Amino acid sequence: MPKCTINGQEVEVKEGATIMEAFYKLNEGIAHYCYHPGLSVAGVCRLCIVDIEGNPRPQIACNTAVTEGMKVSNQGEKLKDGVKWVLDFHLINHPLDCPVCDQAGECGLQDQYMQYGKYSSEMAEPKVKKHKVVDLGPTIVLDSERCILCARCVRFTDEVSKTNELGLFNRGDRTEIGTFDGKPLDNNYSLNTVDICPVGALTSKDFRFRQRVWYLKDSESICTGCSTGCNVKVYYNKEGAFRVKPVYNEKVNGHWMCDVGRDVYKFVNREHRLLKGRVKQKGQATWTDMDAGALAKDAHKAIKAAGDKLAIVLTGQYSTHEYQLLLKNLPTKNVYHWKNQPEEWEKFDGLLYRGDKNPNTKGVEAAMNSNGIKSNWNDLLTAIKSGSVQTVLVAGPENMAVYNDMNEKIQELGAAQNVIWASACKSEDFDKLNTNAWLLPMKSYLEKEGSFINHQGLEQKFKKATTIVSEALTLGEASYLLSGQNIPVMKVAPIDTFIEADRRPDQVTLEHRKKNEFVYKRGSL
Amino acid sequence: MSEVKYLTEFYHLNEFQGLEGYKKNGGYVQLQRAFKMKPAEIIEEVKKSGLRGRGGAGFATGVKWGFLPKNDEPRYLLCNADEGEPGTFKDRMMMERAPHQLIEGMIISAYAINCKKSYIYVRGEYDYPINCLVKAIKEAYSAGLLGKNILGSGFDHEMDIYAGAGAYIVGEETGMISSLEGLKGQPKLKPPFPAIQGYLRKPTIVNNVETLAAVKYIIRDGAQGYRKYGTEKSAGSKLFSLSGNIVKPGNYEVPLGYSLKDMIYGLGGGMKPGRKLKAVIPGGSSAPVLTAEEAERAALDYESLAGMGTMLGSGAIIVIDDSQCMVDMLGVLTHFYSHESCGQCTPCREGTGWLNKIVHSILEGRGRLQDIDLLLKVADNMKGRTICALAEAAALPVLSFVSKFRDEFEFFVREGRSKVKGTSYAQMHH
Repeated sequence: MPKCTINGQEVEVKEGATIMEAFYKLNEGIAHYCYHPGLSVAGVCRLCIVDIEGNPRPQIACNTAVTEGMKVSNQGEKLKDGVKWVLDFHLINHPLDCPVCDQAGECGLQDQYMQYGKYSSEMAEPKVKKHKVVDLGPTIVLDSERCILCARCVRFTDEVSKTNELGLFNRGDRTEIGTFDGKPLDNNYSLNTVDICPVGALTSKDFRFRQRVWYLKDSESICTGCSTGCNVKVYYNKEGAFRVKPVYNEKVNGHWMCDVGRDVYKFVNREHRLLKGRVKQKGQATWTDMDAGALAKDAHKAIKAAGDKLAIVLTGQYSTHEYQLLLKNLPTKNVYHWKNQPEEWEKFDGLLYRGDKNPNTKGVEAAMNSNGIKSNWNDLLTAIKSGSVQTVLVAGPENMAVYNDMNEKIQELGAAQNVIWASACKSEDFDKLNTNAWLLPMKSYLEKEGSFINHQGLEQKFKKATTIVSEALTLGEASYLLSGQNIPVMKVAPIDTFIEADRRPDQVTLEHRKKNEFVYKRGSL
Repeated sequence: MSEVKYLTEFYHLNEFQGLEGYKKNGGYVQLQRAFKMKPAEIIEEVKKSGLRGRGGAGFATGVKWGFLPKNDEPRYLLCNADEGEPGTFKDRMMMERAPHQLIEGMIISAYAINCKKSYIYVRGEYDYPINCLVKAIKEAYSAGLLGKNILGSGFDHEMDIYAGAGAYIVGEETGMISSLEGLKGQPKLKPPFPAIQGYLRKPTIVNNVETLAAVKYIIRDGAQGYRKYGTEKSAGSKLFSLSGNIVKPGNYEVPLGYSLKDMIYGLGGGMKPGRKLKAVIPGGSSAPVLTAEEAERAALDYESLAGMGTMLGSGAIIVIDDSQCMVDMLGVLTHFYSHESCGQCTPCREGTGWLNKIVHSILEGRGRLQDIDLLLKVADNMKGRTICALAEAAALPVLSFVSKFRDEFEFFVREGRSKVKGTSYAQMHH
């Protein structure tokens, strides 16, 4: 465990660690583009130069191993001037199109230019012209002029996705990133290249031109796309959620997430959601709208009438806490687990994406086990047929797109006399329910807090990010109303107060935050 | 002291190209002698001989070999015959006139470092030298000089040729390794150095053609015998490629430490009638230029030239007389480097292009006086900041041209025409 001194502060690092890692450990500022902790070292941006005592020339921090007693500094005036020049080399051919660039506001070049830049460029020559709006594949667009050729994306496709679609073409200042003929950038991890692109060269077709990033807030959450449970950051504003980016978690997803997971946020937005409760009697063709609370109380009558003949159907898309509350408030042994394509649950692509498209399958199983419930789906069907189940409460899937048996299940469960279906999203399939039916609007995973248990059995908490459909209920709240109780007044957790002393250097000041709370956190590089 | 015939002793004989003629003139005798020595003894002998890399960097060959890990891991020997430095054409002659000399040197070197497979990386434009080498290697295989159990010594060695695709940067050893691996010819980040992890991530030694050919003579004459020529720190003889505005351009073998003045006025036959020496680039286009006054007191060895702020490099002496416009010449050089930068490291990729644009702005009459200082600033901030030495190679000529011939640059900016030729850039070239 060698010790070294970085700008006068002593730090102990792992054997073989680089100076860059020591800087990271101390949270000391160092300019860099091509270095990324999840990729191999390229050492091409040459920004992370540092002075090492006893070394005549500055060395790059990302490829120099720490040795015992090494004294490193990046504060020397001469070195700072060198960094300014290297940064200027990055900028001489970079277009000044920040006002129309999607990356503006979370751009590594902008951030580092403000911190380390020369401010007055001496470049008076025409800039190099390169290709604009290059269609790299179904998800990504490239602007070669903005590219600073850090090659992070090339290394990502070489080392992480191992699909090798990207390459560096041409030489000198004509170098461009590109794909090979007939082999577009099309893999399930392609959008990670957009995240690691420090500039606006690679942009996501899904997100580009939809929002300026300074109008977005972000909140950490868990991806509900599959049972891996990648840690993510959701970007949203009052118009809804706009994108999802991965957050580093060594135990779960590392630095990455898959493209499928990035699309999951879409069902959360209002246009897909069930905004009001709906109810209809058997034989009626149309639904009657009803407030969620009133609808739950109305549905309670059906539950009360059913007595023992109540069955509950659970899907793995709710939080662990919600399952427990539901089973506590509606104590019954008739609880069934609705599994979508269980034959695919063991599938795994080797990196992150799993066949089980539910974030909390383990949570359902745990809740059922702790209540001593063992059940078989076919028993439910026979019970409905024989009339021993009169009312079915379905905690339906939030993300219906991954449930390809929706239609079939609506048919099967619709055979019961009363069906109470909790659902976050609307669907035309519900019109096929030809029985007494209640559709209860549910909050999505961004609108509540709780925890998911992922495929490893790791329980991960997630916070409430925002409210999109204010009237919707969580499954826990609904369970109180459905069992005839009132929702207890929750003890309000103290609001996450902003403490000036805890402010990270890259966060804005308290006064600034009061003025515009959108500008709270800048995206990490 | 005049020209010596050490490596080039039999180069005038056409038969020296073929195996038979080569053997008649003492070929492959040293190989048999080397097989009787222990590999470690050969490395020690090469170390003692003071042989330094002839490709440009001048790193001690024996020391380089000593960096190889001491185990049985497979390793590679790579002969750098990419000879891309503008002004250099000595390796080409060696491969054309004496391919077997190189092959013998390579087998001895391979035996010394216990390497079973070697490659000769020749630049793709060298069509004729490639043909000569292919023929020679075939002859060597059929004579049992390559392949299994060479000359009954129990040593196996395979040799192959690889033709480059025309990039200057693959003359850099890690760039060459990348290219040989089938990748884009880009230098690799060091450490790890090639002697630890090179071709296919195995230990690799990369040596210049002339270096490998000289190994045979170290075996023949011993370390002390090899030191007959040259100076204490720059031992042996070296081939110099003399070109430019001179009466007798060509390759000349002289002992290191030879006077540059003698080279130009003696062997080179002096300046063309009515012309005066203005400047000399002593070690290939990337070496800083010397003024006439400096050139006349320069000695051709690693230390003296380094002392004058330039370098011996690959031994390409480009002579410039007073009819040449230095701004125009720098325009050629900056264009070359901006064209040949691999585009990996930012300071080099952007800097070489920027330098080229500034020099051409001056040439085309758009120059500003501050551009001259800007050239110095840009060049100064490029050098030493990149993975390989190309940025330095591009920056050093700019720094030396501008600082030593500043009056020509200022004249060009002020008048929009060359001080020497009196005409504008367009008139000079059309």
